[in-house]
Amino acid sequence: MVSNRSFLVQLQILTKRMVLRVVRRPLAELPNLIISAFFLFVYDGALGGVFGGTASGTPFDFAKGNFINFILPVSIVSASLSGAASGIYLVEDIESGVFKRYQSMPISRWAIILAPMNVGALRVLLQSSLILFIGIIIGADPAVGNIGFLIVLSIAFIWGMGFAGYSVAAGVKSGSSQGAQAATFLFFPAIFLAPTFVPREALKGWLETAAAYNPTTYVIEAMRAVMVDGWELDVLFRGYISAGLFAALTLTLAVLSARKATEKA
Amino acid sequence: MLAVDVKNIKKTFISKQDTVEAVKDVSFQVKQGEIFGLLGPNGAGKSTTILMLTTLLSITDGRASVLGLDVSSKDKEVREKIGVALQDTGIDNLLTGKELFFTTCRLWGYSKKDSEKRTTELLELVGLKEAADRRVKTYSGGMKRRLDLGLSLVHSPEILFLDEPTTGLDPGSRRVLWDEIKRLRDNGVTIILTTQYLEEADELADRIAIIDEGLVVAEGTSDELKAGIGGDVITFAFENNNDLENAKNILKNTVQEKNELRITVEDGASKIPGYLKDLSSNGVEVSSVSASKPTLDDVFLEVTGYRLEGSEDITKEEEKSER
Repeated sequence: MVSNRSFLVQLQILTKRMVLRVVRRPLAELPNLIISAFFLFVYDGALGGVFGGTASGTPFDFAKGNFINFILPVSIVSASLSGAASGIYLVEDIESGVFKRYQSMPISRWAIILAPMNVGALRVLLQSSLILFIGIIIGADPAVGNIGFLIVLSIAFIWGMGFAGYSVAAGVKSGSSQGAQAATFLFFPAIFLAPTFVPREALKGWLETAAAYNPTTYVIEAMRAVMVDGWELDVLFRGYISAGLFAALTLTLAVLSARKATEKA
Repeated sequence: MLAVDVKNIKKTFISKQDTVEAVKDVSFQVKQGEIFGLLGPNGAGKSTTILMLTTLLSITDGRASVLGLDVSSKDKEVREKIGVALQDTGIDNLLTGKELFFTTCRLWGYSKKDSEKRTTELLELVGLKEAADRRVKTYSGGMKRRLDLGLSLVHSPEILFLDEPTTGLDPGSRRVLWDEIKRLRDNGVTIILTTQYLEEADELADRIAIIDEGLVVAEGTSDELKAGIGGDVITFAFENNNDLENAKNILKNTVQEKNELRITVEDGASKIPGYLKDLSSNGVEVSSVSASKPTLDDVFLEVTGYRLEGSEDITKEEEKSER
């Protein structure tokens, strides 16, 4: 018997197997989704009346009358962190010895590494879409029209793959699922050292400086542009570039660490 | 052509803290269609040797080939021809046995239709047909080992590497697996297995290499190894420690174990009266004496200087199950 599967078919088989694993543990999918939805409702309720909700006479109208449009990107960015599960999936396979089983077979090592990243990507798309859907139900209405939803989703996808790469690199480097889970620690500086609740102009001092160096700032601003302001191509461009550079950097780190992990000792 | 040809392989692990020579110098040859056993205690270098032969670990020095293919330079080709069930190869507990076989068949290049057919064949072969749709996490240890063995057979490999295939299994499950391994050998599959159980090596292996501290210290068939000791083993037991110490001075070339002295001589039974006379005339009381053909246990003691502890566990388990 000679294995004659192409790389893509191997990747598809391994991805399908990993999807089955995810489906068998549905509760593991809930926390990140609930937190993201929670942000959407709580921030809208707590801040909508101050920063530009539909209520008349708000002191600062950042949201041009629809605070859901303004705060939805924060929840989407939170949902996109679900990509960090990629590293956990991969390290679970390493810890359980399943990774070694596949290594003993004549199949591509890259298919073994990329399968969990594929599933991380699917997870990002699914969770971000669900949050978008909730946003639509409670009144999100992009300034650029419905194509705005697709733009937001595409930025979220690239951003989520950045977290996927980071978690794979951290997980493989540490060799433990705790190491991969530590990737979610990035969530706090990523979300809160950014113009999460108010536009960047309203930040001051060290937080303004930190936000300027935080790529999340440009991702949120790009999403907000299409949701609140309309076609601001330079803001949109900065958002894609920030997400893309972050993803390129972490995916390179993931590839380098994975290459080392698959090398023979 | 030899199934496996290993020439002076070494494996050294170098870390910041220290350097460990896991395999110092191992050589052996395995003929096609035989079961070859690597027998040794934990940490002897058996698993490291298997990892090198299955292309999962690089060889520090020396050469090894599988079916004429160099394991270092032709690793992909080697992986095509071998089946591997190692201690540290895992099974996905969230999938069912059927799903695991199907996925593995697909990865080996079977079409969907052929994968379904092969899955059914293998589930029957390893006796898991009834449990096919259950998630693996509900399987017993024995069922998981049989599943592991079945997964390594998906592509009908010419050579099968099994690393301690029965460790931790109850005697019943162990027997089932032994029968399966023998049946595979009878169908022409070459099997290289590691074990720390003397009985397992004796029962299964056509030839055995005893490996200790990274070195092969003896090699041959079970009978050859036993014959290599040269004669029968006479065991003298003593109740009194002074008697034991005195007996050591009277009987030459003994090996002590607890309150017993063992001596290996040709035609042991005929020499017992002479020994007893010598001991008695020197005032030494012997509580019991027996002569027996040497066992692998005796061989192991002879070539390493100590007993293989794991073998006691398997015997106790067997006794427990018989009660």
